[in-house]
Amino acid sequence: MTTVAPTAGLPLALSGLRRYWRWVLLVVGFVILQAVFSSADEFPAWFDDTFKDPIDRAGNWMQAHRRTHVVFTDFFTPLSDAVRWALDSVESALLWVPWFVLPASVFLVVARSHGWRPALIPAMAMLYPGLIGLWEETVDTLALMTIAVFISVAVGVPLGVWGALRPRAEKTMRPALDAMQTVPAPVYFLPMLMLFGIGRVPATFATVIYALPPVVRLTTLGIREVPSHAVEASEMFGATPRQTMTKVQLPMALPTIMTGVSQTIMMALGIVVLATMLGAGGLGQEIMDTLSQRRTGRGFAVGLAVVAVAIVLDRISRAVVVTDRSKLPSTRTTLIAVSALVVLVIVGFVTGTTEFPDVWDVKTFDPVDNGVDWTRDNLRWLTRWFNDLVVAEFYVPVRDLLIDTIAWPVLVFVVGWMSWMIGGRKLAVFTTAMMLATGAIGMWSPSLDTLTQVVAAVALSVAIALPVGIWAGRNPRVEAALGPVLDALQTIPSLVYIIPAVIFFTVGVVPGIIASVLYAIVPGIRITALAIREVPEASIEASQVFGATPRQTMFGVRVPLAAPTIMAGINQVIMMVLAMVIISGLVGGGALGFATVSAVKRSEFGNGAEVAFAIVAIAMILDRTTQAIAERLRPPAAEQ
Amino acid sequence: MSTAQTIGVDALPAVLAGVGVYKVFGPKPHRAMEMAAEGISREEILRTTGNTVAVCDVSFEVARGETFVVMGLSGSGKSTLVRCIARLLDVTRGQVTLNGDDLMAMSEKELRDVRRRNMSMVFQHFGLFPHRTVIDNVAYGLEIQGLARDIRRERAREILDVVGLGGWGDHYPQQLSGGMQQRVGLGRALAIEPEVLFFDEPFSALDPLIRRDMQNELLRLQAETQRTIVFITHDFDEAIKLGDRIAIMKDGAFDQVGTALELLANPATPYVREFTEDVSRTKVLRAGNVMKPHEGETVGPTVGADRSIDAILSVLLETTDEIGVVDPSGSLVGVIDRGAVISLLEPGS
Repeated sequence: MTTVAPTAGLPLALSGLRRYWRWVLLVVGFVILQAVFSSADEFPAWFDDTFKDPIDRAGNWMQAHRRTHVVFTDFFTPLSDAVRWALDSVESALLWVPWFVLPASVFLVVARSHGWRPALIPAMAMLYPGLIGLWEETVDTLALMTIAVFISVAVGVPLGVWGALRPRAEKTMRPALDAMQTVPAPVYFLPMLMLFGIGRVPATFATVIYALPPVVRLTTLGIREVPSHAVEASEMFGATPRQTMTKVQLPMALPTIMTGVSQTIMMALGIVVLATMLGAGGLGQEIMDTLSQRRTGRGFAVGLAVVAVAIVLDRISRAVVVTDRSKLPSTRTTLIAVSALVVLVIVGFVTGTTEFPDVWDVKTFDPVDNGVDWTRDNLRWLTRWFNDLVVAEFYVPVRDLLIDTIAWPVLVFVVGWMSWMIGGRKLAVFTTAMMLATGAIGMWSPSLDTLTQVVAAVALSVAIALPVGIWAGRNPRVEAALGPVLDALQTIPSLVYIIPAVIFFTVGVVPGIIASVLYAIVPGIRITALAIREVPEASIEASQVFGATPRQTMFGVRVPLAAPTIMAGINQVIMMVLAMVIISGLVGGGALGFATVSAVKRSEFGNGAEVAFAIVAIAMILDRTTQAIAERLRPPAAEQ
Repeated sequence: MSTAQTIGVDALPAVLAGVGVYKVFGPKPHRAMEMAAEGISREEILRTTGNTVAVCDVSFEVARGETFVVMGLSGSGKSTLVRCIARLLDVTRGQVTLNGDDLMAMSEKELRDVRRRNMSMVFQHFGLFPHRTVIDNVAYGLEIQGLARDIRRERAREILDVVGLGGWGDHYPQQLSGGMQQRVGLGRALAIEPEVLFFDEPFSALDPLIRRDMQNELLRLQAETQRTIVFITHDFDEAIKLGDRIAIMKDGAFDQVGTALELLANPATPYVREFTEDVSRTKVLRAGNVMKPHEGETVGPTVGADRSIDAILSVLLETTDEIGVVDPSGSLVGVIDRGAVISLLEPGS
């Protein structure tokens, strides 16, 4: 094309056409299809009943036969009984001992391997829920989390080992693990409901499913990362594969596996609150109650209690697994500590102080609530303005545009064509099929409604996260200052975000969007900062040597080199926003979120499955397209 | 090179032997081996079949108590070769025998038994276990053998003294310096009292001074107990210093096998000559090589017959007389005069 003279009009137009024909076809296709289908109705739900009815029937059948059929009596019921027994045992054991024994044990266990100073924080965290009158609820949640994390580790580590030893197993597991992490949690609730009914047992299993992937992934990674010469050395001494695994590979992978366990605990923490929808009780129920009563102060206090549980579990899990035995105290010290605990138990029973005393019970948090009410009333002009702006200027027009104005075949074409431009034929076939299937089961409109909310929240999140992330990435001081804030935002269970959002913005789509933004900007900022910081110093210097201004260096070198990583961050933002938008169905977000909640609450299996499919479809389309974009932005890898 | 040329000192019984060893990575190993046998270059084979011929028709014999050094540059296949000999990798074709038993024909279990008792390896990057203390690293092989904790700790403690790490047992390897870490690796290999020891570039990750220390340490240990050693290195000086015989490896095959002196005197290929050219003869030649045989009473200073000329220069400079050369038992076997040494130092001799 370089030989074409600039004056030759027609060839130039031709060359332009050859270059941009994809875009031209996109526009032309859009116009033609829109003209043809302008009067088309809503997406015809051809397969609504074909899909829904069998699932309803299966669900009802399971409910009816839970006590009689062999699948339940011989498998699910014993499994469920075993888990219930474990939950009950842990909980009653924790409630049986005098209350002060718990913080004392936490302190001693952590102090044993990490010294007494780091042990103070988890011990205080263990004490805190009692101080606000949530002792029993906290023990309830602690028991559920402990059992869920225990099952996750017991299942996840062997799976991870298997994945590390058999690349093919890892290849088949990866999409399943991806799906478990991309799919918003409420989607699991329905199958759990079908199999285990309502209560703490399905809540435990839903938590396990959600929390399992990190421990599997990081076990695989940890074992893979064990240097090959260490494995060879072990083989050279005639170790069997099992000996090499237990004596070399697993111990050397332990730090990585423990990172996975920490992540698993964090994930479990997020879900355990939501699992209240399945009747889990505990702190989750408490949060739900404060949410419906609009009590910010109380909600915040309960949220902190959940964080406290996470801190306790995380520190304990780290303390139990000791890598450096030389730092452990002597057997004598350990014996003294254990006998001290026994003495504490006896003292508790003799003095009759097993229950957490009511003296410190601060149940009201009135001042906080009043303060929040006052602030809310005085900020109403601002919040209302913002609320109206988002709803009237963005949400309603965009939703109506997608659902009513643009005919559905046009939307399918545009999305399919663009995915082809981004990721090739495979992606195009995938997105098109997913869209058609979603429409065919009658989920077209609620899906687009949810999508609109996701787009709004993602746009806001990226608008905040990118500049802040770039700023933090270039300025270590800013990053250090942001660190604790981001840490806190990341540890708080997602549902807690909704409480202030609802209080300030009343019920509707806006609190959901606000909560999503708060929830999702953290990884956005973190990954952007990381990406900017990781740009090789040599590239920056090279740019400066050529006399580039800081601005030119920023947009000519830093941003392009950081783009693939930033895109991966945006991918995470989108996934987290989607999860939150679904959860915000609890507070008037409507659409798929509300449909999930109501399906779970009313045990409508067929409806629930359709909603779940639609959510999964949106999640996977968004996930794959953003990953494809990230892939395109990546510079070609070096050739072998 | 032909098989006949690579067969070593046949007076001693071979502990370890390899015959026609091939190792090919890739999809069509047999086609690749045929092409290699026809003399087609490795690049050509890789381009047309996608196979990498890492080791190509290598044969060797290592006698009991001998240090056999395989010297080659990176990519020559030396590391792959030692892994084939130890059967950390399965050979594509060929045979490796230990005391006449074919290692390749052994089942996993038989191989494990051989490894537990008869062979051991020291690795380039040490291959230490960071989660175990130094003593537990050294005791690892004994633990795999199934020895009780007390016995293996006792044995490991003795070995730590042997490699000069007495008192460091309760540290973790990463708390030690590089040289000390490799002493741990060496101790771990020695602890099981193996018949054959493999060294895969054990000292190349160390500083030059530490490397020299470790080489001397190995020579000292060899002087105490003669072990059968296969030693891989990319450093020709190291090969000369440690090797009884040296194999120069290039493109997966042995270019030449012989003592340092043989390589120096008759380099078989231009490639071998490239290495030997810059080597000072005084490093390679030993007192025993340049002496005039002489029996009788010792006069003046004496030196050991196996000392290099470099090492005895200071003695030579102190006196104008002839100096005596003695064998390990201390009896005089010859004399050296300065003239003979000076003529060695002249270029082109």
